[in-house]
Amino acid sequence: MPTEVILPRLGQGMETGTIVRWLKAEGDAVAKGDPLFELDTDKVTQEVEAEASGILLRIAIAEGEVPVGKTVAFIGSEGEDVPDLTDVPQAEPPNPPSNSLLQAESEPHSEAEPVGEAAPSGASNGRIKASPLARRLARERGIELSAIAGTGPEGRVVAEDVERAETRVPELASNSLLLSRAVPPGEVERVPLTNIRKTIARRLTEAWQIPVFQLQASADMTHANALVAKLRERDPDVRVTVTDLLTKVSAQALMRHREVNAEFTEDAILLHPSANVGIAVAAPQGLVVPVIRGAERLSLTEIAAVRADLVGRARENKLRADDLEGGTFTISNLGMYAVESFTAVLNPPQAAIVAVGATVDSVVPVAGELAVRPMLTLTATFDHRAVDGAPAAAFLQTLKESLEDPGLAL
Amino acid sequence: MPELTYREAVRDTLVQAMRADEDVFIMGEDIAEMGGSMGVTQGLLDEFGPERVRNTPISEMALAGAAIGAAMQGMRPIAEIMYEDFMTLAAEQVVNQAAKHRYMSGGQITVPVVFRTQGGAGWSPGAQHAQQLEAWFVHIPGLKVVFASTPEDVRGLLWSAIYDDNPVVFFEHRTLYPIKGEVPAEIAPIPIGKARVHREGEDVTVIATGRLVHESLRAAEEAESEGISVEVVDPRTLQPLDEETLVASVKKTNRAVVAHEAVTRMGFGAEVAAVLQYQAFDWLDAPIERVGAKFTPLPFAPVMENFVIPHAADVLAAIKRTVGK
Repeated sequence: MPTEVILPRLGQGMETGTIVRWLKAEGDAVAKGDPLFELDTDKVTQEVEAEASGILLRIAIAEGEVPVGKTVAFIGSEGEDVPDLTDVPQAEPPNPPSNSLLQAESEPHSEAEPVGEAAPSGASNGRIKASPLARRLARERGIELSAIAGTGPEGRVVAEDVERAETRVPELASNSLLLSRAVPPGEVERVPLTNIRKTIARRLTEAWQIPVFQLQASADMTHANALVAKLRERDPDVRVTVTDLLTKVSAQALMRHREVNAEFTEDAILLHPSANVGIAVAAPQGLVVPVIRGAERLSLTEIAAVRADLVGRARENKLRADDLEGGTFTISNLGMYAVESFTAVLNPPQAAIVAVGATVDSVVPVAGELAVRPMLTLTATFDHRAVDGAPAAAFLQTLKESLEDPGLAL
Repeated sequence: MPELTYREAVRDTLVQAMRADEDVFIMGEDIAEMGGSMGVTQGLLDEFGPERVRNTPISEMALAGAAIGAAMQGMRPIAEIMYEDFMTLAAEQVVNQAAKHRYMSGGQITVPVVFRTQGGAGWSPGAQHAQQLEAWFVHIPGLKVVFASTPEDVRGLLWSAIYDDNPVVFFEHRTLYPIKGEVPAEIAPIPIGKARVHREGEDVTVIATGRLVHESLRAAEEAESEGISVEVVDPRTLQPLDEETLVASVKKTNRAVVAHEAVTRMGFGAEVAAVLQYQAFDWLDAPIERVGAKFTPLPFAPVMENFVIPHAADVLAAIKRTVGK
């Protein structure tokens, strides 16, 4: 029987990891302790070592995000049969509860799956591997062990798995068998923090320590909208958006006002040579900010393509660590909602972030007459340790003028 | 609070017990003029004279037997067995005589003797001068077995051992003699059979003895920095064992590592693991891990000795296995 290579838990609370690349190929000889593949988590990228020696018979999962406990490869002896993957008991840890909650708000039950489908990873030859504590908890709470995916060593069901199975029950409320287990009305529902939620909390708390100031300006989007419309007409496959235009003009403005494309450190202010523009994305698992690198060198359609890929993968929770790193400036756009303006919290170590509201038809004076124009309000937040008010204002003015007359960004 | 080394703490207890009580005396090889091979009894001859600080011939069996005889006659002798390894030579007297007389006499005779001995590797003493043989003696009904890991504990426990009416095998660790620690101004006797929780934690309990208490505390620090909260408990008395404290700790943390310097196989840790699995079975969330020396005589070469005996890194690795890291 070949040894299964299981996606390891590198930290407590780790639910999934992303296989970046394999360091061995199928057919390679591996010794216990050899680096086998690179694994990304929300904290680190780490080489995972082989737990057994032999031949790497099959790589079941080449790359991408994988739940902890899932079989990703097999190590055995030359010529040994590899079990068909459909026979392999797979650990499918359920979605973290907060994730489920977010999803439940927008698409009720979209993540709900019948209990019977959860793969009993601890099972082998009918015997379920579970720790004594997990067995007792399951017994006391009336949960079937066979319905729980184990994430412990060798797919063992551990107490944490039972706890998770229990907190997950509310999302299954549509299943009549489980109705009685739903949270009773009027009770406080407890949503345990996921890793990403903890990271968001920690980083925003850090950001709150920074002395900031805000500047606001409104831009007439008549020409910008016309440009976006024209580009969409010319190239319907790449749907250029206002966000893409904002990315482009922000990048150009950052190159003209490099003191804003900055980072404050203990003994120096770092001025970045390139505009790596982060786009805040409301992904189901929480807020993420993938980065469009070197945006000043990309055309609008190139930016649109990169943005579409990043946002798509963010929504599927498939971003890699390097998608999120190296940003020098962030755009947070709530224009799709009825929000006219708002202030964003800095995304450290970046020195500036711009909050973009909805484009609203407004009455504005044009050449002494009243006119109705599509107006967009930009509210930029700056790290005052790195940037003073006047250069920040100059930056925002460039941004406004570039939106009003996109040709100026060239 | 005054600070004493582990060695000074042992000496201080001997001195205070001998000052307080005419029945207390010490005997052993080279303990008088030389002050013992580990220097524990230095200066005692000057204060108490050769009647109460008795050098013996090089026969562990004879000196153990003489101490047992004196104890049966109402004295409270403390026999020093120079190396734990030499307890094997005294074993007939300790196992077949000291441990049995109270029982065989229907309680008419008591044997209030303490066998003080020391062992432990880490200084290249080779295969015959550093073994940890506590498992031999915890297996004998009729003996109490103590293994203290700090100056405060060694002082309070040695006092209790001297005044216990049963034979006590009292293990000291060679590499702990120079460590310093605060002790109460007055000797505070520590009851035989009470464990000490050195550090509270939530995720894993490490039950460690002797030198491994200190290695485990280091491992716990390291684990803490990786987000694992570790409780470290020293049973201090190996027989009788404070099962209540150990089981309560494991019921809280749901995971256990048992660590000692003695060879893992058939060791004291195996008994602890058995106690835990039986009394805390439904609370265990991972197999109980054991950390100890590899199953081989101790090598003389420092590099190999280092490889054979356990260290903080081994405890840390076991901690991580229990939490699935």
